[in-house]
Amino acid sequence: MLLYTLTRLAYLAMVLVVMSILVFLVTQAMPGDVASMIAGQFASKEVIDAITVKLGLDQPLIVQYGRWAAGILQGDLGRSLVLEQPVAPILMEALSRSLVLAVVALAVVTVIGIGAGVLAAVRRGRMADQMVSGVSYLGIAVPDFFWAIVLVLIFGSYLKWLPTGGYAPLADGFVPWASHLVLPVVTLVLMLIARIARLTRSSMIDVLQTNYVKYARAKGLPEKVVIVRHALRNALLPTITVLAIDFGLILGGVVVIETVFSFPGMGRLLLFAIQRHDLPLIQATILIISTAYCLANLAADLLYAFVNPKIRHGMGNA
Amino acid sequence: MTALVPLSAAASPDPTPATAAMSALLEVRNLTINYASPRGTLRAASDVSFAIRPGEVMGLVGESGSGKSTVAMAILDLLGEAGRIDGGEILFEGTDLRRLSAGQRRSLRGDRIAAVFQDPFTSLNPALTVGRQIAEPLVQHKGFTPRQAAPRVEELLAEVGIREPRRIAQSYPHQLSGGMQQRVLIATALGCDPKLLILDEPTTALDVTVEARIIELLAGLCESHHLSALFVSHNLGIVNRICNSVCVLYGSEVVETGRTRDVLARPVHPYTKGLVAALPRITTDRRHRLSSIPGTVSKLSGPPDSCVFAPRCPFAEETCRRLPQALRGDAAGNSVRCWKAEALSGTPWPEESTASRPPATPPARTAPLVQVDALRKVFGERRSILPWLRRDGTVAVDDVSFTIQRGEVLGVVGESGSGKSTIGRSLLALIEPTAGTVLFDGADFVKQAKEGDRDLRRRAQLVFQNSAASLNPRKTVGAAMERPLVLAGRQGEAERREMIAALLTRVGLPAAYADRYPHELSGGERQRVNIARALATDPEFVVCDEAVSALDVSVQANILNLLADLRDELGLSYLFITHDIAVVSHIADRVLVVYGGTICEEGPIGRVLRPPYHPYTEALLSAVPRLSGAEDGPEPERILLEDSTAPPGGGGCAFRGRCPRKLGTICDERAPPVQTATDGHRIACHIPLAELAERASVFPELAALH
Repeated sequence: MLLYTLTRLAYLAMVLVVMSILVFLVTQAMPGDVASMIAGQFASKEVIDAITVKLGLDQPLIVQYGRWAAGILQGDLGRSLVLEQPVAPILMEALSRSLVLAVVALAVVTVIGIGAGVLAAVRRGRMADQMVSGVSYLGIAVPDFFWAIVLVLIFGSYLKWLPTGGYAPLADGFVPWASHLVLPVVTLVLMLIARIARLTRSSMIDVLQTNYVKYARAKGLPEKVVIVRHALRNALLPTITVLAIDFGLILGGVVVIETVFSFPGMGRLLLFAIQRHDLPLIQATILIISTAYCLANLAADLLYAFVNPKIRHGMGNA
Repeated sequence: MTALVPLSAAASPDPTPATAAMSALLEVRNLTINYASPRGTLRAASDVSFAIRPGEVMGLVGESGSGKSTVAMAILDLLGEAGRIDGGEILFEGTDLRRLSAGQRRSLRGDRIAAVFQDPFTSLNPALTVGRQIAEPLVQHKGFTPRQAAPRVEELLAEVGIREPRRIAQSYPHQLSGGMQQRVLIATALGCDPKLLILDEPTTALDVTVEARIIELLAGLCESHHLSALFVSHNLGIVNRICNSVCVLYGSEVVETGRTRDVLARPVHPYTKGLVAALPRITTDRRHRLSSIPGTVSKLSGPPDSCVFAPRCPFAEETCRRLPQALRGDAAGNSVRCWKAEALSGTPWPEESTASRPPATPPARTAPLVQVDALRKVFGERRSILPWLRRDGTVAVDDVSFTIQRGEVLGVVGESGSGKSTIGRSLLALIEPTAGTVLFDGADFVKQAKEGDRDLRRRAQLVFQNSAASLNPRKTVGAAMERPLVLAGRQGEAERREMIAALLTRVGLPAAYADRYPHELSGGERQRVNIARALATDPEFVVCDEAVSALDVSVQANILNLLADLRDELGLSYLFITHDIAVVSHIADRVLVVYGGTICEEGPIGRVLRPPYHPYTEALLSAVPRLSGAEDGPEPERILLEDSTAPPGGGGCAFRGRCPRKLGTICDERAPPVQTATDGHRIACHIPLAELAERASVFPELAALH
């Protein structure tokens, strides 16, 4: 397992290096000149040149990249040009809010989605199965912004039970914190649950037809034990992967939902940075998003290996 | 290492079949089971009755679709949703299981009635340790905590012959060999001291040497624990070894039941006669055709309105087609479902027209058609910059050389992992050898294939084991056969249609089958289509990779006869890969016995079946379950090998890890020398030929033949 983890970490490092190069190059290719943007519309050429030299923008790309990368390795993500403050604290704040959103939404999706999938598989072809299919299709077929707007209208504007948007830190108390989370989480769950439920259902159906499930029944085990211990454990393998990808997805920002609910997470931050051409902020945000994504995947793989003894005990062959 | 066990599984006190129902442990009465299918209700069991007394092992035999597994699953209450019991009783210790609640039935399962299924690997949960899986019934039925169960689990593992029970209990299924996995399942079944074992083809997925061990284990356990068992099997040889009584199913009905020695030695029902006659026996006489049962099982819908076997029965009369048959018993307790039983009692199954084949002419000593030299194939070798990712790979075939003459059938016999399929595929350039050369008619096949030479591909073809998987389900038979014809340069569509019709006729199928889809055909018919497709390019050489292994005995005989006829008529050469030495003895001129990627023994079939034997060949031959009746005298001693282990790497003999006659370090260190006996009979072993020749023949009955 250790060997496997080390191998995966080595791959992860390689992926991040390649990512950082790509991020750097892409942002360089974006239209607009940083120096003239900083200097403002009416600045003279001398001022712009001075800023260019000061920021090292006249140096070869490779040197610029080296400096940027060295800074990151020392924990310096650069300074935001627009907000005129270090990028790191801004990012960490947005990331922590996205993290809260991701954890809560994923927890709900995991519990309800897997539960619904198992129920549908066990009651295959019957009412419960059709209900699960119908509801989950509704969630996936209707776009997320539609649900977001409908929910805001009903619970925010009409019933006035919940705030229509924004975010309250936990320091303000649990109720305000939670009440701001409810609507974004529900929208996210509607968006994600269909895939999880359907995936769980189909792998559950496959596993329920295996010989080892039949043999578990032949041992006289109660159906509950057969389903949970023998079937679900094996059926969850593909679901784990998808859940991890979804986690990375929410961490990286769900732009539409964050915008509708004015939720100050990674998605809105990235949108803001792009709109304002804030290059250091864009670079840092994308880098953090991809890192989060990679880590989520790594976590999925490790979890997968942990659940699947064939991988756990065959690490050398990984 | 080896145990010599007299072959007398059936030597336990000889319970005559139950006449008094009261004494039966399990009695099935008039059981009728139907399956709901999209095409209507299908009969899976109709009016099935039998009884198993305490200590009795009953074989439930039949071919695919006979309903034998359905009956076994009904006893376990594991029919699934599609199957429905529509009548009858299942009495266990006098109680009708159908009258119990589902919960009561469940509490019997795994406790009083335990099961072992066919494929041990898929019957074990890959995510749990085997110890935990063995403990489950103990925790469920006997109130053990998992911790308390641990010592009992080790005890059970030791009882089924596992040497390091503690370590094995902590292993996961994928870390164990097939034989070990089946022992684990048997240990699971024994946990709660059951009264009745339901054994559903428990050795079918195993190699024959492993099968012999497992059967011996089961027979011993049944005797020492005074267990009763229902032994579901298609293999009459195995049934003959372990079962006191036998119940033959055909087309959802019991056609014959009685004491094993009576039923198998003197079958009365025409179907049983046919089944016994179709079983390939070890022989050196290639001229005889195998007996076969014509036709296929008819679709079973609605209650029977005639004898179900009548359409395939050579003795059928008008009456048979008009009236359903009743099971009638005789004084000895044997029953038969055939009104002509008495009249037919001495009549054998009709032999196939013995327009005997020309005696196997020794192939002309011209240049060989196929010449394999120092073939080696390593799978999974990997190089990497990360040292811990580097892998040496697995040697599948190691330094194998042989030739095939024109018109010759070369059999390759070996167990799983012996490299026999890899040899076959290398010959067709389907996989690239790591080293060595394959010459086809003097040309380097691998090189030519790489350069896109279609002609060699045309001249060498392949027939696989799985007849269904080797046909595209979305293509008609005709379309599947048309492709090779196009590739072989047959441009005219009319010409191709004519050729397809001719090919289908040649393999014994109606030409109209060209418009059918694979799922509309039976397994035997599909295999005929595969053979016809292989013949489409007018090949000289065909690799048959376990081509008859998945077929029922009666169908297998048909296909073997067809392959033998085609070889005689078209002068084909075959490489005939199989795990079944009896099958090979019917078709092959020469045999290679392979183990761990190396050739242990090769020679004309008549020589390989007689001493001197390579120790592996001897064990393999002795493990073959046979149908010798009581009149053949005592059966020879059986050589039992250790469960298969991965062949050890390094220098020595590939078989040394399991060899019962291992000499010592010389076997570990040096590759065995190839010793030549007579007629190109070669044995690779450190034991001198003279000493190998001292062993008794495994088939004394062959002594009379030549």
